[in-house]
Amino acid sequence: MADTGFLPKEKIKEFLEALSKDTVVYVPTKEGETAAFKVYSPDAEICLDRPANIPPKSVIYPQCETLLSFEYKKTDPDDPKKMAVEVRAETNYPKAVIFGCRPCDAKGFAIYDRVFLDTDTADPYYREHREKTTIISLACEAPFAGCFCVAVGGGPADTAGSDVLMTEVDKGYYLEALTEKGRAALSVPVIEDGASYKAAAEKIKTEARAKVKNPFPADATEKVSPKLFDTDEFWQQVTNKCVSCGACTYLCPTCYCFNITDEQALSKGERIRTWDACMFRHFTLEASGHNPRPTKSRRFRNRVGHKFSYYPEKYNGAIACCGCGRCIRYCPVSVDISEVVGYLKDPKQDPATWVATNTKAVKDGSL
Amino acid sequence: MSTEKLKETIQKVFPDVECVICWQEGFDKLHTTPLFITTPDQTEKVVWNLLCVQNLAAYLPSLKKKIAVVVKGCDSRTIVQFMQEGLIDRSNVVVIGIPCRGVVSVKKVLAAVGQQPIEDVKVSDGNIIVKTPKGEKTLAIADVSPGKCKTCQYPTPVIYDFLVGEPIESDKPAASVYDDVREFEKLSLAERKAYFEKEFGKCIRCYACRNACPMCVCQDSCIAETRDPHWITQKMTPEEKMMFHMIHSVHLAGRCVECGECERVCPMDIPVAKLKKKINSAMKELFDYVPGVNPDDKPPMYTFNVDEVKIKEHKL
Amino acid sequence: MSDVAPKELRIVGFLCNWCSYGGADTAGVSRFKQPTDLRVIRVPCSGRVDPLFVVRALIQGADGVLVSGCHPRDCHYSDGNFYARRRLEMLKQLLPFVGIDERRFHYTWVSASEGQKWQQVVTNFTKQVHELGPLHEKKEKTV
Repeated sequence: MADTGFLPKEKIKEFLEALSKDTVVYVPTKEGETAAFKVYSPDAEICLDRPANIPPKSVIYPQCETLLSFEYKKTDPDDPKKMAVEVRAETNYPKAVIFGCRPCDAKGFAIYDRVFLDTDTADPYYREHREKTTIISLACEAPFAGCFCVAVGGGPADTAGSDVLMTEVDKGYYLEALTEKGRAALSVPVIEDGASYKAAAEKIKTEARAKVKNPFPADATEKVSPKLFDTDEFWQQVTNKCVSCGACTYLCPTCYCFNITDEQALSKGERIRTWDACMFRHFTLEASGHNPRPTKSRRFRNRVGHKFSYYPEKYNGAIACCGCGRCIRYCPVSVDISEVVGYLKDPKQDPATWVATNTKAVKDGSL
Repeated sequence: MSTEKLKETIQKVFPDVECVICWQEGFDKLHTTPLFITTPDQTEKVVWNLLCVQNLAAYLPSLKKKIAVVVKGCDSRTIVQFMQEGLIDRSNVVVIGIPCRGVVSVKKVLAAVGQQPIEDVKVSDGNIIVKTPKGEKTLAIADVSPGKCKTCQYPTPVIYDFLVGEPIESDKPAASVYDDVREFEKLSLAERKAYFEKEFGKCIRCYACRNACPMCVCQDSCIAETRDPHWITQKMTPEEKMMFHMIHSVHLAGRCVECGECERVCPMDIPVAKLKKKINSAMKELFDYVPGVNPDDKPPMYTFNVDEVKIKEHKL
Repeated sequence: MSDVAPKELRIVGFLCNWCSYGGADTAGVSRFKQPTDLRVIRVPCSGRVDPLFVVRALIQGADGVLVSGCHPRDCHYSDGNFYARRRLEMLKQLLPFVGIDERRFHYTWVSASEGQKWQQVVTNFTKQVHELGPLHEKKEKTV
């Protein structure tokens, strides 16, 4: 099995057809102006010239996943009240390939791996999906609106989370296998020898990296400033315009919070795990009625804190943000997380000055 | 120059209020973002142009202090609708109205330039000139304006304490407002069903449409997410997605002011406003009611007539 | 679906407690024959009927929905049915827009003494829904 390969542009569909024989292949598919990952079909309009609206998160970490199904059954014809519960949990997922996602999308899976796999209680559903899925990422030639991958430990040709990295060169794509699964994917007959394209690919990768802007100050601190982080007026001012929807979290390749609910009708039911969003008011609403994060300023502080402070502290500095920019592009009011974190990482930032300059320093800062 | 006049008005109003809500430049040249002015020198950042798309009146019901807000004609209808429903204290709001000849749809511009990142934007002679890494493209504003601007009946705010600029009369025929509804109704029943199944199939239940909607004030306890009563599950099936959009639209019956925010904010480009426009056209036809125009009106679903002229008993 | 007889379709009826439920009762006491597809849900007033009940029923598997209340001006709660009339008329116009035949939803006013009218309503509406056929493909009902 080869470590590198070349896929001619006109053979993309042939490659996907070949993979589709024994795996479910997901490609960024255009429907109107929206690009989303759908199962490959020959008449699909494949979109490789820009990141998809929504990352391929759902392939490995579905938005709605059945953890188990249950059925109550009567067991004793003489005692109608006696019921037994039959519980079934299956993880017989098909093998899958994600083709044409971006390095930032794949980095999300690397972030999930630490949470769902590197633990005593590894998540069997996530593990099965992850082990059965091969990720073929496409390196970016240039940044997209809002992109800032280089500022968060990533890059347009980052390999974290991927099995194969594709780089567009003249007439086709240079492929590099990064894992065993990747090497297996490159063994499909339509893939040609890639060695001669390596230099051109490296040049494109280097040029792409130089184009991505870093929105943080040049002397940005490694950790976020705890003083500004704990200043309520700062969060109130930056979140005044937020509408508390879940667009940023659902479109984020690195967000993974979930909810587990039982859905039952009569005697049959399912326990489902669905994506949750820390931006919703009821994210931390407790059964007693108490809500530790009742305001959007608290919730957004938590979101930034999780990605740029708590997760890095737990996992050796790894930032739980891939800089894909979707939260900025699709936010209804253009809240810019990179701008907010820029303030937090600015060593010259003095909370009192920030508050005096940017907001009325009122005790009860809420409007 | 309108922006200068706007800044002057804001400076004048600022001492009487806790905050002025207006627009500033966004993360790139094609976007603006809401600006909450809480100190006078923030007024420098104010912008007014055809990229000022957000409906700033949407923030009013959740704010307790005295606020000034800048509104376009469509946004001002929101304020009137709030007054009809008792959702704001009018004496707590200072309305800075700004006549508007139309905005551009960011989605339409991005579609026209192949979704490329934007380097620069200039406006001149009815055109918007957009520069991307792939080059410069000149687009006619009429081609990239949202549907609501093409049929706008209220270019001048219907309510204001200050008006920045001269009032503008609408040059669009009133009969054209629901042309899109009539056009859609030319499709067969099966075609319509297939259309909505396909469009709502894209929905990711992010609730951006609901949260951006100014009239959805119960968004924090929305029945689309409650467990008791349990209207819908969080399953990602076509039925559940359709049901969410029906809930959202039916709860807006006779209240939707057609500000278009729902459709603007959808990250999956779903034509979310279509159902609401249909319901609005029914409200106009059945009850001769137009939302957000007259503060003394009663929304049609809140009231009744003993004799309904336009409703005949249906016979089987 | 196992709980619907093979030749029956799933028709849901929302009947107001005072007039229509009484009217249905009168029809029953008078031994009038009518199709048995209709499953009745009793509500205090037609004004209790949220248009979304009808939508939910149709999306979740019903082939037809009927709502019946007191005649306007005769509402047991004075004005509940006035509100119902407005809401349900709005729904009648919205359903075809989303591709659901508006003949699958019918709202009417039947008083407690109108047993004969009730029989006619049920018979004709059931016939109408049967003519339209099932709304959903037969499939194993999942949660």
